[in-house]
Amino acid sequence: MSSGSAILHTAVLTRRSVRGRLRQPAALTPSFVFPLFFAALGSASFSRIADRPDFAAIAPSFLNYAVAGAIVQGVLFASTSAAGDLATDIEQGFFERLLASPVTRTSILLGRLGSAMVVAVVQVTIFLAIFLAFGARIETGVIGFIGLVVAGALLALAMSGLMSGLAIKSGSPEVVQGAFPMVFALMFLSSAFFPRQYMTGWYQDVATWNPMSHVVEGMQGFMNQPLNVDQFLRAWLIPLGIALAAIAFGLRSLNKRLAAL
Amino acid sequence: MNTATTSATTSTTYFTRPSAVVGALVRRTMLRVRRMPSAFVPSIAMPVFQLIAFSGAFGAAVRFAGIANAMDWYVPLNAIQGASFGAMGVSFGLINDMQTGFFDRLLMAPTRRWSLVVGPIAGSIARAALPILLVILVGFLGGMNVPGGPLAIVMVIVAAAGVSTTASAFALGLTYRMRNMGAATLTQFAIFFTIFLSTSQVPLSSMASWLHAVARINPMTNVLRLARQGLLGDVTWDQTWGGLVALAAMLALSGWFALSGLKSLEK
Amino acid sequence: MLPGPCRMAPSTFVTERLSRLARPGQEFVECNIVTTSPSAPIVATGLVRHFGSGDSLVRAVDGVDLQVEAGEIFGFLGPNGAGKSTTVRVLTTLLKPSAGSATVAGFDVATQADKVRRAIGVALQDAAIDPLMTGRELLDLQSVLYGIPKSVATKRGPELLERVGLTAAADRRVGTYSGGMRRRLDLALSLVHEPSVLFLDEPTTGLDPMSRLTLWEEVRRLNREGTTVLLTTQYLEEADQLADRIAIIDHGKIVRQGVPRDLKAQVGSPTLFIDVDGEHVDMARGILERFGDLRPTSEGKLGVGLAQGAEAVASVIRTLDEAGVHVRHLELNEPSLDDVFAEATGYRLEGADQ
Repeated sequence: MSSGSAILHTAVLTRRSVRGRLRQPAALTPSFVFPLFFAALGSASFSRIADRPDFAAIAPSFLNYAVAGAIVQGVLFASTSAAGDLATDIEQGFFERLLASPVTRTSILLGRLGSAMVVAVVQVTIFLAIFLAFGARIETGVIGFIGLVVAGALLALAMSGLMSGLAIKSGSPEVVQGAFPMVFALMFLSSAFFPRQYMTGWYQDVATWNPMSHVVEGMQGFMNQPLNVDQFLRAWLIPLGIALAAIAFGLRSLNKRLAAL
Repeated sequence: MNTATTSATTSTTYFTRPSAVVGALVRRTMLRVRRMPSAFVPSIAMPVFQLIAFSGAFGAAVRFAGIANAMDWYVPLNAIQGASFGAMGVSFGLINDMQTGFFDRLLMAPTRRWSLVVGPIAGSIARAALPILLVILVGFLGGMNVPGGPLAIVMVIVAAAGVSTTASAFALGLTYRMRNMGAATLTQFAIFFTIFLSTSQVPLSSMASWLHAVARINPMTNVLRLARQGLLGDVTWDQTWGGLVALAAMLALSGWFALSGLKSLEK
Repeated sequence: MLPGPCRMAPSTFVTERLSRLARPGQEFVECNIVTTSPSAPIVATGLVRHFGSGDSLVRAVDGVDLQVEAGEIFGFLGPNGAGKSTTVRVLTTLLKPSAGSATVAGFDVATQADKVRRAIGVALQDAAIDPLMTGRELLDLQSVLYGIPKSVATKRGPELLERVGLTAAADRRVGTYSGGMRRRLDLALSLVHEPSVLFLDEPTTGLDPMSRLTLWEEVRRLNREGTTVLLTTQYLEEADQLADRIAIIDHGKIVRQGVPRDLKAQVGSPTLFIDVDGEHVDMARGILERFGDLRPTSEGKLGVGLAQGAEAVASVIRTLDEAGVHVRHLELNEPSLDDVFAEATGYRLEGADQ
């Protein structure tokens, strides 16, 4: 099949998948409620820390600090739940039906990933609007705003790629849900919720090695520092790298599963 | 006709002891844990992970507030949280029993209704014992201070068991009324917000205005004060009674909620 | 501890007198000698149970009158959603009646639920058992629920397992049991406290024919030993085989009640089909018309509804013979419960042929 029809199929399936996601707001609610709640809780609990002189180098306020963590958390939540849907589809015989349809095989996966990116763009925009309304400000202006939205979309691509690959490989929603605590752990062991500078011992070492820290800090850079290349490198390139590897993994799982049918 | 009736009913009828029913239901809970450990592992792993994550990530915030070791602050919180996870298990278990019809078997038993409520709650406390003890153990390994002595640990356990009871009773009440998985989710939400909108992360004095206002009236703040006192200083009546009153009030309310929910099943 | 004096279930007078005889700390034991009670084991009067309210009000049970006599097997028939399970749930104290009243074993289901529970055994639809537990563990739990002392339970448990043929499987998890084994275990569980009234809610739905026969045999045996049985079923044959009397419920109302043979007779006369040589058809038709209304048949056959019942077959044959009509083939069709059901409700029950 031509690459033209693959792109067309991907676009059609992306649109269908986005509609599907928006039609079940109950599934999306936690990925909005929890990150915003944690951000509110964090900035109310840790506001005294923001008064410390050494915090000024990190962010102007704890709310400003918490924005990037909330975005990352929200995008990861939403992407995982989308992959859970895919696993449920597979469990209910989705691929058998698929084989009977003329749709390009790869666009099945790419359509899902595309929809995760679209949802992420909407989600990040809404998050930023809420944070700005509550007094946060983006240090790098419009470019930073775009930087954050793109970073969110790339992160959604990476995460939904990984989780969809897992969903296709396992075909079990339980496995996808079971991988979720790992994501949660990855976030806690990073600077998503609290500055790495204040951590101590082995915990700080782990956070320093955790790529999540660098993605978050790149995004925090857009929020809290003057514009510089480092922000794009960390907030864009790391998720992009992971995304490419994840898509390769996902497509391999897809081919294996289709071959096994 | 008479002969038929007589031969079927000459047997002695016994009285059911509610305490025996509670015991049997606790044994059943533990038996299910042993036979389906995969459902139990997260309830052990989560509180321990959160203890490590909270202490590691937010440790500085607690230390800046003048607390020697982050474990002193977070062990009671995560013991309570671990205990409250059991409520989800109670809700799932009840829904499962409702779906298989096993719950009807319990309802048709000639036993006091309260024993059917207390049974699963007691089972939940039994289930919570391991996570609570594990959190305390990890706390010791992490250098937790215990200036209040053995009584400090007793206070942690009292608070955790009390919250476990309340959360389980609430879960039962909600599940009796909703009769679907939504009850477990709502229970989780309720527990989550009750715990986090208290002094879960930092002392009242470090909080910004809105959270301070909420946490001050949240009974969970009193319970946490009760639980933490022996790790931050001496165990005193001053820091105990407020927690006990809060626990008693929450227990009374959730107990009533559960019992009335059970009654509503017949309606 | 010695058991205390017993009290008779319905008589408060005797109860009060006897309670004075009990020594302190002595357990009070109910003898449950209800032979003196004039009431039948199950009586429902104008029983109503509705769900919801306002526009969405559903009258699942809509004025049911029912009387089950001691020692009988009573079949409660109806399609899914007709109200039979709801009726059973009210009678077994799981639901409170919205209106009307019911007594089971002489006790009011609404106000004396605990006494009703003690007197009845219930095997519910789908065998309500915990798949993670073994048969023996479930029996032990059931014994605790009914307050049966350990000394008694350790003896009765194995007896019941033996009785339902589950001794070998007793220590296996119930999750590994077949459908028939689960139902048999459920039955054993419902018997731990030796109930006088047994409710079986669709006990054989989904079972293979062999397991069904085994269960039927066990129900008959229990009944012979004196247990009153109320059995709900979707299977007409099951009711026909087991029940002394049946009731058909539809849209929450009892539409027929009685002895299966009488109900069938009420539906109409049996049909006699005969097959005769071509040249005799007209003559045969004339003769058959004397015995009842002609019924539609396939080509070359004749059918008549025997107004006098099956006893008339002999005289039909004799008359045909005397007239010189040679009968090549003969078939007598009795009305079935299926016909009763169809006549009462206006439709046929799914799976009626099973």
